[in-house]
Amino acid sequence: MGERCGQNGDVPTTLEPVRVEEPDVDEALANDKPWVVIVWNDPINLMSYVTYVLKSLFGYSDEKATALMLDVHHKGKAAVAHGNREEAEMHVFRLHEHSLWASMEHDV
Amino acid sequence: MSRQDFVPPVERVDNSDVDPLGTFDEGAGPKFRLNFEPEERDLLIRLLGEMKDLLNSEENEATAPLLHRLFPPAFRDDPEKEAEYQRLMREELVMSRVVSVELVTAMLTADPDTGRLADLSEPDTMAFMQSLNAVRLVLGTMLDITDDDSAEQADMDDSHEFQLYGYLGWLLEWTVQSLSETV
Repeated sequence: MGERCGQNGDVPTTLEPVRVEEPDVDEALANDKPWVVIVWNDPINLMSYVTYVLKSLFGYSDEKATALMLDVHHKGKAAVAHGNREEAEMHVFRLHEHSLWASMEHDV
Repeated sequence: MSRQDFVPPVERVDNSDVDPLGTFDEGAGPKFRLNFEPEERDLLIRLLGEMKDLLNSEENEATAPLLHRLFPPAFRDDPEKEAEYQRLMREELVMSRVVSVELVTAMLTADPDTGRLADLSEPDTMAFMQSLNAVRLVLGTMLDITDDDSAEQADMDDSHEFQLYGYLGWLLEWTVQSLSETV
């Protein structure tokens, strides 16, 4: 870093190497933590539709998808999948494509 | 057609007449038929057009609650991560919805020679279900169906908008049922 500064004379170039080389420590730790994907209850999506979407997106059995759907309906939410951040984001995206009210948070 | 000959709006159809050796053709797999009257197709095409306009619209007072429902937050308690998610995914999600709406609009357009709709593959039928659900979700949000009580209220309201909401729910239910036979 210092060498490059010297080579470039008066032009301050430290900003770029700092951004590239210093990892965000919090972020790195967070990425190792499992994330949980939540589906929240909403009064519009049909129960049969929610069950079918859970089956087709996650390959769940009829029993498992129905149980999750009923949890959403009666308890207000259900954890439908787990994964690292990237996986969880992809699940949330696909659930959003199907208009389910989905979000993700750290699994604690 | 008489009432006794009820034809479901969406049905899985026997695929055996396609091509007995066509197992590896694109014609393989279950087929689904939309039994819609021309007025129903026109209605759905109009609603899908309105959906597309909404997806392409700027957020304002009228559209904000609808767009919020179509693009809900992924990170509820982390504004920073949420901003990042929206920056990376929002456009992709808009595109995905627009593509689906255009695909479904084409499916609902009858063959000019036969006046009929082509039978649909399973993925096409899922796209139909997805867009139909999105249209119903937007209408339900416009009708202020925000909790289970207002949802029950909607069942009893027979104004034009609530009838439309009920019709879309009925159609969606049939679509899900016919698709569920194959999962």
